[in-house]
Amino acid sequence: MFKNHIKVAWRNLWANPLFSIINVLGLSLGMAIALVLYLFIGHELSFDNLYKGESNVYRILLNTDGDSFSQETWAGAPNALAPAMKTDIPNIKYTARILKHGFGTNANVKVGNNIFLEKELYWADADIFDLLKVEIVLGNRSDINAPNSVALSQKTAKQYFGNTEAIGKTIEIDNRQKMEVVAIYKDMPKNSSYKFNVIASPKATYAKNLYWSNASYETLVQFNTNISVPEVERQIQQLVDKNVEKENQWFSFSLQPLERIHLYSAEYSDSYAARLGDIQEIKNLSLLAILILVIACINYMNLTTARSQKRSKEVGINKTLGAVKRTLVVRFYIETALITLIAMIIGVVLAVLALPWFNYLSNQELDPSLLLEPMSFLAFLVIWAVTTLVAGSYPALYLSGFSPKSAFSPSYKQGGTAILVRKGLVVVQFAASAILIVGILIIYQQIRFIGNQNLGFEPDNIVVVSVAGINSQTGLDEIAQEFKGLGQVTDVALAQGFPGTGVSLNTLFKDREDRKGLDIQTNVSDPEVLDVLGLRLLAGTTLPKNKQENDTLIEVVLNKTAVDYLGYTPEEAINKKVFINREVRIVGVVDDFNFTSLHTPIGAYAFTNNDTEYKGYALVRFGNYSPDFLNQLERTFKAVDPETVFDYSFLDKNIEKLYEREQRTIRVGLIFCGLAILVACLGLFGLAAFMAEQRKKEIGIRKVLGASIFNVFKMLSTDFVKLVVLALAIAFPIAYWLSNRWLQEFAYHIEIYWWVFALTGLVALAITLFTISFQAIKAARSNPVKSLRTE
Amino acid sequence: MLLQLKNIFKWVNTGGQRIFLLKDINLEVEEGEFISIMGPSGSGKSTLLNVIGMLDTFDEGEYHFLDESVHTLKEKYRSNLYKEYIGFVFQSYHLLDDLTVAENLEMPLLYKKVKGSERKALVADILDRFNIVGKKDLFPSQLSGGQQQLVGVARALIASPKLILADEPTGNLNSQQSEEIMELFKKLNKENGVTIIQVTHSEKNAAYGSRIINLLDGRKV
Ligand SMILES: Nc1ncnc2c1ncn2[C@@H]1O[C@H](COP(=O)(O)OP(=O)(O)OP(=O)(O)O)[C@@H](O)[C@H]1O
Ligand SMILES: [Mg+2]
Repeated sequence: MFKNHIKVAWRNLWANPLFSIINVLGLSLGMAIALVLYLFIGHELSFDNLYKGESNVYRILLNTDGDSFSQETWAGAPNALAPAMKTDIPNIKYTARILKHGFGTNANVKVGNNIFLEKELYWADADIFDLLKVEIVLGNRSDINAPNSVALSQKTAKQYFGNTEAIGKTIEIDNRQKMEVVAIYKDMPKNSSYKFNVIASPKATYAKNLYWSNASYETLVQFNTNISVPEVERQIQQLVDKNVEKENQWFSFSLQPLERIHLYSAEYSDSYAARLGDIQEIKNLSLLAILILVIACINYMNLTTARSQKRSKEVGINKTLGAVKRTLVVRFYIETALITLIAMIIGVVLAVLALPWFNYLSNQELDPSLLLEPMSFLAFLVIWAVTTLVAGSYPALYLSGFSPKSAFSPSYKQGGTAILVRKGLVVVQFAASAILIVGILIIYQQIRFIGNQNLGFEPDNIVVVSVAGINSQTGLDEIAQEFKGLGQVTDVALAQGFPGTGVSLNTLFKDREDRKGLDIQTNVSDPEVLDVLGLRLLAGTTLPKNKQENDTLIEVVLNKTAVDYLGYTPEEAINKKVFINREVRIVGVVDDFNFTSLHTPIGAYAFTNNDTEYKGYALVRFGNYSPDFLNQLERTFKAVDPETVFDYSFLDKNIEKLYEREQRTIRVGLIFCGLAILVACLGLFGLAAFMAEQRKKEIGIRKVLGASIFNVFKMLSTDFVKLVVLALAIAFPIAYWLSNRWLQEFAYHIEIYWWVFALTGLVALAITLFTISFQAIKAARSNPVKSLRTE
Repeated sequence: MLLQLKNIFKWVNTGGQRIFLLKDINLEVEEGEFISIMGPSGSGKSTLLNVIGMLDTFDEGEYHFLDESVHTLKEKYRSNLYKEYIGFVFQSYHLLDDLTVAENLEMPLLYKKVKGSERKALVADILDRFNIVGKKDLFPSQLSGGQQQLVGVARALIASPKLILADEPTGNLNSQQSEEIMELFKKLNKENGVTIIQVTHSEKNAAYGSRIINLLDGRKV
């Protein structure tokens, strides 16, 4: 019996190759998507697997009080916190503070005569090796405690020293600190949120002076036994009360379990974890995968039952021959299982082929060989079984339910509800596709808008060169001078930072009575910075050029927002004294410009000639770009500082990076949009085939009455156009609402134009007509003699 | 002469074999004739009727309709010719289920692009002629078989064709209903000069015609 079932199923598959191909293709696509996302989600969930079950390792989060700073959660804590916790709070086994080099910049590492640009250099307490289970393969754990000692990952040691022994050698960081290599550790796994290439001992740096004011140190704590989180958080508060005056307490602390760092940190600023995921993204993608699979299943049902006229006869005959309903149900399920199995095999192949592409688009490193692991086979099995059950249910129950009489009756026509269900499903599919199309158009426009937005400065034609390796003021002056001497260069300014990067966050007070204050970003810069960035001076002048050695007065150039807070016009503001950490004098006011991403509105900003911060960048504005220009810059740089890697970037490229997430959303969105539309089209195709079959006789009669091919085509298309119009009517308000909500994330955003909807409508209609034309023309051309003869 | 078939052959190829559906058919039909085609089941009666009605093609021979050579005409002209001059009546009526009687009647006029006002007039006229004004807003399923076939004939006639082709028009009707339809045909033929070719199994119905053509295995006997 079973063999017979398989045989019949196989024959049915070949009886109608076009249907079978569409059916299998739709399901394969759905399965391929599900498999790729299975790999992606599996990879994301595997993060920090090493620490699973280590329930008593936590990261300390800092919550700002929303008074002096806006309310946020930071991943960094003051460097004084960890030592204080270790002495005051019982039950602590390890604590470690992590600081990315230069508060988050690249390091210049000199090894012998070679210089390396190291992107993952961290200053961290030695306990980090125990906390994160970093395995030491060479050297002694105890040596790491010594000041000026450094540990390298195996890969990094190989990069720096080749095959020669690394232990005992010296490396020099940013031409300032000589460090001795004391240990080599196993490379951190790919699925570790933290990625340390170099771990340097902070004994000689930040560990010497403890502060409660600078919260740049990511702090991890391990307890001996399980703890009560609220209890420990209370103990930390007591600790803070003991060490920090109430009015300086702009923060409180909370604990985040280590295993939650990877997926639940998207909202926290300034984490040093190199590889963060986002639980929301995982949820969205899972939903999407399930949705596409369900749509594929619905298509299968639509296509299978579309042939019901033919199948009903078969059912009727089988029933009169004595088949009971259950046998027929089993039979239809077996047919479905066979098709889904073929679809699964093709799906796996598609997934393997699509993976490199997916990796490229989403910045992942998923390995297709993961599909061959036992767990994956279990996943295949589950997906296969579920798809078979879902996709097979309707055909099996619906078709096997035919009574022999109705199946043979010539005037037999399928019930209204079944048609309504079909139409409903197609409307839903199309509405979903329309929402996706509108969404993609809006995102695309917004990205274009940002690209063309007047930023208030001119980001084009500026090269940013890192000069952090140059230690002396004379060296800095020299390099600025040399750069300026180059033909193409129009202006050069040294600065602490530049738009798109963080500078220092301070508070601006109008006078001693001002209790409120305003967040202000301060950027220690050369006077030329206004010219280099192309900022518009509203009043006053730029920072004074020559500063006297013993001149302790600090000058600032404020932006319009800052001056507005003070309540001055730009002209009034000149020569006024205000407070930013200390008393400063306003010498100039510039128009507002977007110094962070357009996600946030413009805040207060100040250029200052204070010397508290180091000017780590040379901003070089050039006239014409020639391919040789970068070489010239590098030669010039090397002439002044041969010890440092020439580390440069273009300012406009840096600014683009601020919108990387949106770019990625566009790319991944485009693919899924395309796939969803493709699958929806398969559904439409199925419905068209079904309708043509249903109306075969009617079409025959109409042709006998004189209907032309075009008449019939028009008649069939009108039905679908109505469905699509209905789908659009449902989709547009939803799409409008969703797009609007997304745009609100940007302080500067586009309006939603009506033509976006018009375009979407046109595209949807064009796709519809294209998809159904095949069936409609086939039906219209069919010979009426054939469709009318049967009775 | 209304139409002329000369040495018409029609065949299908199945399993390497050529099966003849029509073999060397010669037929001349004058305007105003009433012809009955008879023969056993499977002898090719419907096939011949469809060829005459231009619904089906043939493989060999010549077909002249009025002054046109149908076998050389392009599909588009053929369908214009057919829309203009031919009406069809079927055994199972083939009314459109979703349309009312009046709408069914109007359909051929729509495809002939007759103007709205003229259409209304023609529909009203034919409803009147067939005495079915009271049924004009009913759906086919609300009518008896005889009434449905009455509508079928009315629909075939509405565009005033020269030729009516009827494939066992009374096959599904009882004898009284049959008689009504045959009387109607006779009247149309006599009074309006409409040429009629019908396929029938009944000697009695065949007798209404002026001439009988017998088919056997696709050949005229
Ligand atoms: N497309 C086709 N392919 C194969 N055989 C066909 C085809 N069309 C018709 N036939 C065969 O041609 C023969 C003539 O068919 P036709 O329908 O003309 O017979 P008929 O005389 O009208 O019979 P009945 O009185 O039963 O209606 C039949 O044997 C039929 O099976
Ligand atoms: Mg017949």
